[in-house]
Amino acid sequence: MTRASLTLLLIAILCAFVADIEVTTLDPWGELGRMAWGALTPDASVLYTFRNALLNTVTFAFCGISLGIVAGGLLSAGFQLTPVRLFCGFIRAIHEIFWAFLFLPVVGLNPVCGILAIGIPYAGVFAKVYSEIWQEADRRPLRGLPATASGLSRFLYGLLPLTLPALRNYTSYRFECALRSSAVLGFIGLPTLGFHLETAFREGLYSEAAILMYAFYLLIGSLRYWVKPRLIPLYVLLSIGLTSTAIRLSWANLTRFFSYEILPWPIRRQGFVDGSGDLSLPVDQTWTWLVTRFTDQALPGIYDTAILTQIALAATGLLTLLALPSICRHFASPLVSRLSHYVLIVARTTPEYILAYIFVQLWGPSLLPAIAAIALHNGAILAYLSGQHADRIQLRLDAPGRRADRYGFEVLPRIYGQLLAFLFYRWEIMMRESAILGILGITTLGFFIDSAIAEDKMDQFVLLLLVTAFLNMGIDSLSQRLRKGLHISIGSVKTVE
Amino acid sequence: MPPVIRLQNASVSYDRLPVLHDITLEIEDGEKVVLVGPSGAGKTTLLRKLFESVGASAAFIHQDYALVPQLSTFHNVYMGRLDRHGALYNGLNLAIPRRREVEAITPLLVELNLEDKFHERVSELSGGQQQRVAVARALYRDADIVFGDEPVSAVDPRQSDAVLTLLKQETRTLVLAMHDVDLALEHFDRVIGLRNGRMAFDASSTHVARDHLNELFAS
Amino acid sequence: MKPVRMAILLTLALTTAPLAQTFHFTAIPDQNTARLKERFDKIATYLSDKLEVPTKYIPVKSYSASVAAFKNNDVQLAWFGGLSGVQARRAVPGAQAIAQGEEDMAFVTYFIANTSTGLEASDGFPAAIEAHTFTFGSKGSTSGRLMPEFFIRRHFQKSPNQIFKRVGFSGDHSKTIALVQSGSYQVGAVNFAVWEKEVKAGIIDTSKVRVIWKTPTYPDYNWSIRGDADAAYGEGFIARVKDALLSMSDRNLLDSFPRAKFIAADNKMYEPILETAVDVGIIEK
Repeated sequence: MTRASLTLLLIAILCAFVADIEVTTLDPWGELGRMAWGALTPDASVLYTFRNALLNTVTFAFCGISLGIVAGGLLSAGFQLTPVRLFCGFIRAIHEIFWAFLFLPVVGLNPVCGILAIGIPYAGVFAKVYSEIWQEADRRPLRGLPATASGLSRFLYGLLPLTLPALRNYTSYRFECALRSSAVLGFIGLPTLGFHLETAFREGLYSEAAILMYAFYLLIGSLRYWVKPRLIPLYVLLSIGLTSTAIRLSWANLTRFFSYEILPWPIRRQGFVDGSGDLSLPVDQTWTWLVTRFTDQALPGIYDTAILTQIALAATGLLTLLALPSICRHFASPLVSRLSHYVLIVARTTPEYILAYIFVQLWGPSLLPAIAAIALHNGAILAYLSGQHADRIQLRLDAPGRRADRYGFEVLPRIYGQLLAFLFYRWEIMMRESAILGILGITTLGFFIDSAIAEDKMDQFVLLLLVTAFLNMGIDSLSQRLRKGLHISIGSVKTVE
Repeated sequence: MPPVIRLQNASVSYDRLPVLHDITLEIEDGEKVVLVGPSGAGKTTLLRKLFESVGASAAFIHQDYALVPQLSTFHNVYMGRLDRHGALYNGLNLAIPRRREVEAITPLLVELNLEDKFHERVSELSGGQQQRVAVARALYRDADIVFGDEPVSAVDPRQSDAVLTLLKQETRTLVLAMHDVDLALEHFDRVIGLRNGRMAFDASSTHVARDHLNELFAS
Repeated sequence: MKPVRMAILLTLALTTAPLAQTFHFTAIPDQNTARLKERFDKIATYLSDKLEVPTKYIPVKSYSASVAAFKNNDVQLAWFGGLSGVQARRAVPGAQAIAQGEEDMAFVTYFIANTSTGLEASDGFPAAIEAHTFTFGSKGSTSGRLMPEFFIRRHFQKSPNQIFKRVGFSGDHSKTIALVQSGSYQVGAVNFAVWEKEVKAGIIDTSKVRVIWKTPTYPDYNWSIRGDADAAYGEGFIARVKDALLSMSDRNLLDSFPRAKFIAADNKMYEPILETAVDVGIIEK
């Protein structure tokens, strides 16, 4: 475990040498001051103007997650089959924003785009986590069910009620994530909170940005008061009712996109030039097209994405280790740990994308804002989970009195394995996020994906999307292998995903 | 008439450790049989072996009840007939209990003194109550053969008599494993003694001598 | 599970519902967008009155989203840049440019620099910008990306990444000015109309940022409409839309663009943009 940690750190240090981590803005502190002033002087008057965006944020989340639960639940039934598992891994490996990019040209600027963008990757996650929960269930009561009853009946009366608390826990955690995703989708143009947040940040209207952020925190902080199991079906129906009016799908668009626009340009060129729209297959040119897309975009994108991910991974680990004592009852007074908790809640509630957006405004587009955003968000999550774990430890009476000794010799050794497992578990998520941050001008894969969209080259876009997905799936399987090899596990904690 | 259960030279081992040796056994239709013996003698293993030999249509009362703690008493009892209905009917009954099932299950729960626990989650019940739910489920299955692994171990002595009487009365062929020998002798005609995975005796209860039993339980 | 299943059926049922006959338009978000909706809602009201068809403005976040909206018939009319117009019309057969601003036949990009660089205004291409940091506007902008990149490539015979210390895409012209003024980027390329408007409005601190080069002229912004609009809204509809645009005279409305007035345009006028885009590699041919 020590060796794995040191290797991780060493790789990150090597990456830091070649990484572009310059502050390019001249007056970052002045801008920060203006942001702080905005945070202190929120402009509540705009809330009314933006009420539809707030409503959309919630309705997209509800519709998207419902789709995710249904599709994910069905997929989880076949999760032991390799093709299903790979398929779930694939749809999970593509970030919500990239899904939205894919659907924007296909279904257009309407709620379906946002709902699919949330629902599809969430289906992949639900399929995986639900099937894990079902695998880990206490199966003894199932012996009481007649063996000849149908599979679905046995599921309804056995596995489902047995795992319902775990499923409910995870799903409600995921709903919080869906709200975050829904808000962030606004940054690329969907009519949710992020739409106005982006404008406000971009144009330095920090009092507007502040009230939108506060509204967002309030929305998430108050979830447990208004999202009650009994009310959920009502909310879902209401959400669908509220989004339905703008929904319109054109099959012509769908077929044109999937059977024509995403084909590499050399295949379409002949038919485009002579106006027939026919396809041909010039093998040489298509091959050259593919190779140049790889050398000019995919490889440089992968390089920066990987560099960013590795630095962010190590930074997250270090941040977790630093933050942990401030929230753990063995080191911090109740007051300090309470305050630290609030800081961590804000850090983990704020989506990485928004954090990165703010940091880019402050420091300019280099890897630095991306590293800070990913490490802060993930470090807050891991510190919180590890803190809970550490709080459950009963120290022996004659434990070392000095805090540093107690941390290093009593607490850390007991929780380190799980902490490392959490970290590896989030590796894939960090990479997915690294790719996305390219949209902000940091030259990861997202940068090239965004360029392909801007230049209306759907063939290039889809190619880069596939590269991103496979990169993620690779990291996912590497992380699983490492966790197995190191004999560490995240236990029954599912909210790391 | 041929026996409904037949076992010939059956042996079972776990991890190459033999637990049942060469057991040959026949049980006729309508018989009420009890397996006795010290713990670890192989009662549970033999009972499962017998259950497997007759197929899934039989009912089985598990030693740990095998109830789904999150569901109500009613639903746990209903499970006994899960294979008689399609998934749609079962699903509907899960959401809103069907009147037909409620009417069929209520008398059973009255007999077992559980009528006031009808809607209660099984996890809220005491051990004895949970065990009676497991008995009710086996009876509701309405099977020709019912197996029970210590079906009254957690029920208080006053009630265990009543539960055993009900079990005998409501089933055709009954095979139980019990550690309470006195209770076993009191209720059953045929007693099979097990020791170290072998059959020590197979006799009518009136013919089982104290010596037999002492030998069985001697360490 | 039950309500969820119902919800999906409901959604499917609604997706096939016919489109209400509202006329939709959008505009590329090329400058500060905070009050964009209010500004363009006024244009929507104007068009509703003139066309006697309910008209609605659809806000978008990026140039590419406006092109996608046009392709998908989410909007039938759009205020495009030169490049986004070419992209959109290429993807929608029959689409036509019907109007442009008076300024758009001879549009200009300003290269601007932070005064701390010491770069001075010149008539010829400012070769001294090499090795500085440089920001374009949006990746899909004509005046903020396509034309400046074209002139840069033509002069240096290299790609911007090889010439500059750092290359950025600010997203819009207002942001480009702000970034160069604050020194986050040393040099930038900006739409001259937005620059002039912001100078007049007193938003720009001319002691910190100045124009160092004006590019040769090129055709830029245009109103483009889908060719199937006549079929959807009645014979002669496209001509009526064109009329409505050309007769717009309210300063209050025209300042949203900002243009003195609109004049007639056609697809052919934008061929140079297409050729430039192919040259730079933004459009494949």
